Amino acid sequence: MIEGFDRNQLAAEAVAAWAIAKKDMIIYYLKPNIIIAGLLFPLFMFLAFAAGKNVPLGALIPGLISVTILFSSSSIEPVSIPIERRTKTFERLLSAPVSLHAIVVGESLSGFLYSIGIALLPLIVGIIAFGNTITSPLVLMAGMLLSALCFSTMGTLFAAYPTESPGDIMSMLNLVRLPLIFVSGTFIPLDAMPPVGVAIAYFSPLTYGNDLIQCAYGNPASFDPFLDVVMLVCFFVIFQFIAHRLYAHFNE
Amino acid sequence: MHAIVVNGLEKRFGEILALDHVSFTVETGEVFGYLGPNGAGKTTTIRILTGITSPSGGSATIFGSDIVRDTIQARRNMGIVYETSNIYDDITAWQNMMFAGELYHVGKEDRESRGKELLEVFGLWDRRASRVKGFSKGMKRRLTLAMGLINDPKLLFLDEPTSGLDVQSNLIIRDVLRSLTERGVTVFLTTHNIEEANQTCDRVAIINRGRIAAIDSPERLKKTIQSVQSVEVAFEHGGAQALSALSGLPMVSEARKVGDKVRLYTEDPGGLLREIVSYADSHQDRVVSATTFGPTLEDVFIRLTGLRRPKDGREEP
Repeated sequence: MIEGFDRNQLAAEAVAAWAIAKKDMIIYYLKPNIIIAGLLFPLFMFLAFAAGKNVPLGALIPGLISVTILFSSSSIEPVSIPIERRTKTFERLLSAPVSLHAIVVGESLSGFLYSIGIALLPLIVGIIAFGNTITSPLVLMAGMLLSALCFSTMGTLFAAYPTESPGDIMSMLNLVRLPLIFVSGTFIPLDAMPPVGVAIAYFSPLTYGNDLIQCAYGNPASFDPFLDVVMLVCFFVIFQFIAHRLYAHFNE
Repeated sequence: MHAIVVNGLEKRFGEILALDHVSFTVETGEVFGYLGPNGAGKTTTIRILTGITSPSGGSATIFGSDIVRDTIQARRNMGIVYETSNIYDDITAWQNMMFAGELYHVGKEDRESRGKELLEVFGLWDRRASRVKGFSKGMKRRLTLAMGLINDPKLLFLDEPTSGLDVQSNLIIRDVLRSLTERGVTVFLTTHNIEEANQTCDRVAIINRGRIAAIDSPERLKKTIQSVQSVEVAFEHGGAQALSALSGLPMVSEARKVGDKVRLYTEDPGGLLREIVSYADSHQDRVVSATTFGPTLEDVFIRLTGLRRPKDGREEP
């Protein structure tokens, strides 16, 4: 459907997107399955990696931040959207005088804000408990914000699959998220990975987000930070585009 | 200006043709009933008219705005109340109202004053701070309707508004509908309650298997099947024996039991009444009451959709 825009419409779209995000925050942030997927799962992954390695815990904090953002930002919509399909409240969004873009942005925004809030926990713990120092706060901010934006949109994209069961989407999403942890340099540096792993890493948005975060902590970076930013923006735009197309397709 | 213009609307789902060149117009301020059996195409029509689904062919405009090319503008003029009470159980009635207002671009002041007014009208103001989870089915339905009116729509889509509701909710909703139509709001109503459509609608369209079978006012539609008249009679000794005896009369096209009475369909109610009295005399029974009926909108619906009426009075395909 062609949807014309003017300035008033853009403002209305922003208000609607924010309303959708607020609604998700009130209803879903404290749901047990979201806390498990967004907070506890990354923590246990971190402990699993830490237990098998002879590396100071503080050195693993940047990786933990990356993984926390990956899981927490992509966990809201795969729960909220299937539930809302079941209760038919998603139909309310689809029939409102807003574009599909506003709905996708609004849904993604709640995941974005959730993950930023959650990711501050390991960040603060790292500084206080392990004495981590951040050499480039701006780079850290860019890494965290762009990663959250990218992965929350990825969660919204997966949630386009027309099911009323959050478990269906979580299963599909974990097929992508879990391998990403191993091939993106979060806990295993890229230069320690075999060539096949490095080749796959180029196609993972987590690689670039994690690279920025590692760089902010003064660790050696695999790419130029500018390239990391460009790649994350590209992934975000691609995920937005595909999500929009999928929602339009599955509404038929 | 017409509120809705539908022209040759078509919708295909693979090989299945769900809507087959459906055309109709709805005038501004009209209450338009859209009736049809399950699977006839009612929901598909509403989904297209509200811009959720794209048509495979044809066009539809809402107050002149094309629903495909100018979806958002078309939606600004409408309120939608679906059959399911699609509200958020985990937040309060007030939060639901405010959320609906934000989605429909209603400014903060208007949203709050209109939200208060609507919750009062629907008898929910005292429960505004309660989570919807604890609401009864009728209260949820009322809240759904209130949310559909938050943007003061010129056109209201109502899908089964009073289905299965308690008396209080039914009365409130009917009162609100009456006041909306008095204010000139156009209402597009789908319902299984044919008597509700008969009493509420200026015109009705009957859709069957994706095609419009008839569109007219309820009274005009009834006149098209004057042959379907009936006599409802109660006998002192019950109706079971009379039902089997009278249903065999050549002038009776259909007979069924309605509570403690017998309803007989005929083209000749006068002749049938004579036969009924004669039957009562010859069987030492007495006619307690006898009432003649003209065709109802339900009769029109059944005739046009090809449904048949089971013995207990409900329709079945």
